[in-house]
Amino acid sequence: MRHSIIRKPLLRKYFISTDHKVVGLQYAVTSLVFLLVGFLLMLLARWQLAWPGTPVPLVGAWLGEANAPGGVILPEFYNQLIAMHGTIMVFLAVVPLAVGAFGNYLVPLQIGASDMAFPRLNAASFWLYLLGGLVMLAGFVAPGGAANSGWTSYPPLADLATTGQTVWLAGMLCIIVSSLLGSVNLITTVVQLRAPGLTWFRLPFFVWAQLVTAFLLLLAFPPLQAAALLQGMDRLAGTSFFLPTGLVVSGQAVAAAGDGSPLLWQHLFWFLAHPEVYVLILPAMGIVAEVIANNARRPLWGYRTMVRAALFLGFMSFTVWAHHMFLTGMGTVLSGFFQATTMIISVPSIVVMTALLLSLHRGSIRFTTPMLFALAFIPMFAIGGLTGLPLGLATTDVPLHDTNYVVGHFHYVVAPGTIFALFAGIYHWYPKVTGRLLHDGLGRIHFVGSLVAMNGIFLPMFVQGLGGVNRRLYDGGLQYAHAHGLAGLNVGMSYAAWLLAAVQLVFVVNLLMSLRSGRMAGDNPWQATTLEWTAAPTPPLAHGNFASPPRVFHPAYEYSVPGAAADFTPQNEEVG
Amino acid sequence: MRRVRTIPYSATARPDTGLTNARLAMWLFLASEAMLFGALFSSYVLLRTGAVAWPRQGDILDVPLAAINTVVLLASSGAMWTATRTVNAAAQRRALALTVLLGLLFLGLKGVEWAGELGRGLRPADSNFLGLYFLLTGLHALHVLGGVLASGWLLSTAASAMRRDPALFVTRVRVAGLYWHFVDAIWIVLFVVLYLT
Repeated sequence: MRHSIIRKPLLRKYFISTDHKVVGLQYAVTSLVFLLVGFLLMLLARWQLAWPGTPVPLVGAWLGEANAPGGVILPEFYNQLIAMHGTIMVFLAVVPLAVGAFGNYLVPLQIGASDMAFPRLNAASFWLYLLGGLVMLAGFVAPGGAANSGWTSYPPLADLATTGQTVWLAGMLCIIVSSLLGSVNLITTVVQLRAPGLTWFRLPFFVWAQLVTAFLLLLAFPPLQAAALLQGMDRLAGTSFFLPTGLVVSGQAVAAAGDGSPLLWQHLFWFLAHPEVYVLILPAMGIVAEVIANNARRPLWGYRTMVRAALFLGFMSFTVWAHHMFLTGMGTVLSGFFQATTMIISVPSIVVMTALLLSLHRGSIRFTTPMLFALAFIPMFAIGGLTGLPLGLATTDVPLHDTNYVVGHFHYVVAPGTIFALFAGIYHWYPKVTGRLLHDGLGRIHFVGSLVAMNGIFLPMFVQGLGGVNRRLYDGGLQYAHAHGLAGLNVGMSYAAWLLAAVQLVFVVNLLMSLRSGRMAGDNPWQATTLEWTAAPTPPLAHGNFASPPRVFHPAYEYSVPGAAADFTPQNEEVG
Repeated sequence: MRRVRTIPYSATARPDTGLTNARLAMWLFLASEAMLFGALFSSYVLLRTGAVAWPRQGDILDVPLAAINTVVLLASSGAMWTATRTVNAAAQRRALALTVLLGLLFLGLKGVEWAGELGRGLRPADSNFLGLYFLLTGLHALHVLGGVLASGWLLSTAASAMRRDPALFVTRVRVAGLYWHFVDAIWIVLFVVLYLT
């Protein structure tokens, strides 16, 4: 059935459906919009960094007198931009795209299931996520504007911040519940609904990555939920869980009972937020593994080792959180423990990256657009990962802590790392969803432009950070003498950001244009082995996914098997 | 008329995992709940060990009333256990009804306790102990309320559900039971930590 995606009655098909593919698409569209919103906030902030104190062109007048009188961004508004950029990118854009969209759409198809285990719960997760996102955005119209205490919301600052912080907490609670329901659903689906013959070690690596991710979300998010409740009590009921005794702000003693602990928030927050880093990266590794095996026409090198590495990574991610807190005065024993676990957790990441690299060896590589993004992911994520090692050791972390070096480090992990993998996934599976291929030439422009622009933005951050320039500075550091020589880099970085924006326009045009005029894909355009291509029609059936329940006879990546009829053996091809 | 099930293993266990979907999902959900309450208990420990002074908890709170409430909740767990074990549909409905009533009684007594404390002028802002007390017992009461609503819904649909799909209904009651016992267990920890130490 080759139907255009636009012709069906829109309301029935895309708003009240519980089908996992529709929910996945809802997640995809919403999270891409949030990705754009988070990016636009940063474009505003980058104007201020490059040309401090000058009016923002074009949109400056729309920002409101309270935020930017005469178009010049005020420090308070800058803080909102930065806090909301971080929050939106992590919780509303990248994770929902990686987990909500890719996980929802592909996992049931890849395991040969007709839907998720709990379709209505799945739809509920999406609507709660959307509600949480809208609540978050509503912060901008709260008195005093949106949350402005950074995406980490450290108290006492966040305890005493404007109303926007309460809105942030409410939005966060919605997102957490949505994510918990989603992860329960995904784990149950993978454990219970695998097709006959699809044993654990025949699962595509992508499914394993999503499974481990779901466990991380399931077990790491509740402590942030607890922390949000405690901070909500501090803000609304006047408790002082995070307020120490004798706190003085702007010369005035804070009226609270005191005896609380600001560090308690940091522990609870990072207990979530470090596993969250692996929530960002594991699905990305999963996507890249699929794309690389398919385009190198080779089985994944060391598939079982990769799976074990992902499991070990998931486990270890719960034991490293305090490496974000070396400067809080923790003892050397504790800091020694967290340095050791941090060095250990880098091993499984390197195992996975090495396996991906070795999978290319002796392959006959097709340089398709998704493959370009997947290949670029490897060195970009490597830069992000390796620059993290000096931050994981207390001695080197002391001078680097809270500088732009840290910002550069985690942006390499998430932007040209995870987001490149997500782009690879979109180019790879767009034909699955729509039945049409994305335009290859535009895809290549998007790839080259993004690669150049992202490095143009993030590489200078290392230079600035090593020079001692702190992050979160409203004027990019001009008030400090040591930053003067490095502040000029901000101009080039901001130009790179405009370039990045321009090539994303190419991407959006490609997404919309190919919907109608893209080349028809056929059932299996990439000649892949996994069930979503080999057992289900393209585009997939509206409900039920498979005309008849698939049976699995092969491991996930039987490419270039000697003696086989083709260079790929579908997982559901009967033996003999 | 039997409903057509498109999702397998809703009512019967998958042979190689030995689980129904709902049972596995409930265990996973309870794992996350354990992390939620675990984080709050850890916060309690951290704040209490770091505090300059901590009130004598038993002197502030109404220990006898809470002890009675503990017995009420334990009894409700007993009733729920019966509901999950019996093969007699009428007995099952009676046990579910008793569970709901005892859950409501627990909430009522908890309300009386809160009203007494608020009446004596105690507020969450007074100390970290009282803040945690109101937060933890309030969050727990919400969980009991959720359990009461779920069990009440099961009870109200029991007759038609047993006619339509008895296996699915039995699975649902068992899963509700898992949740109920968990909420009961959390209360016992709360009672020991907040009232008795």
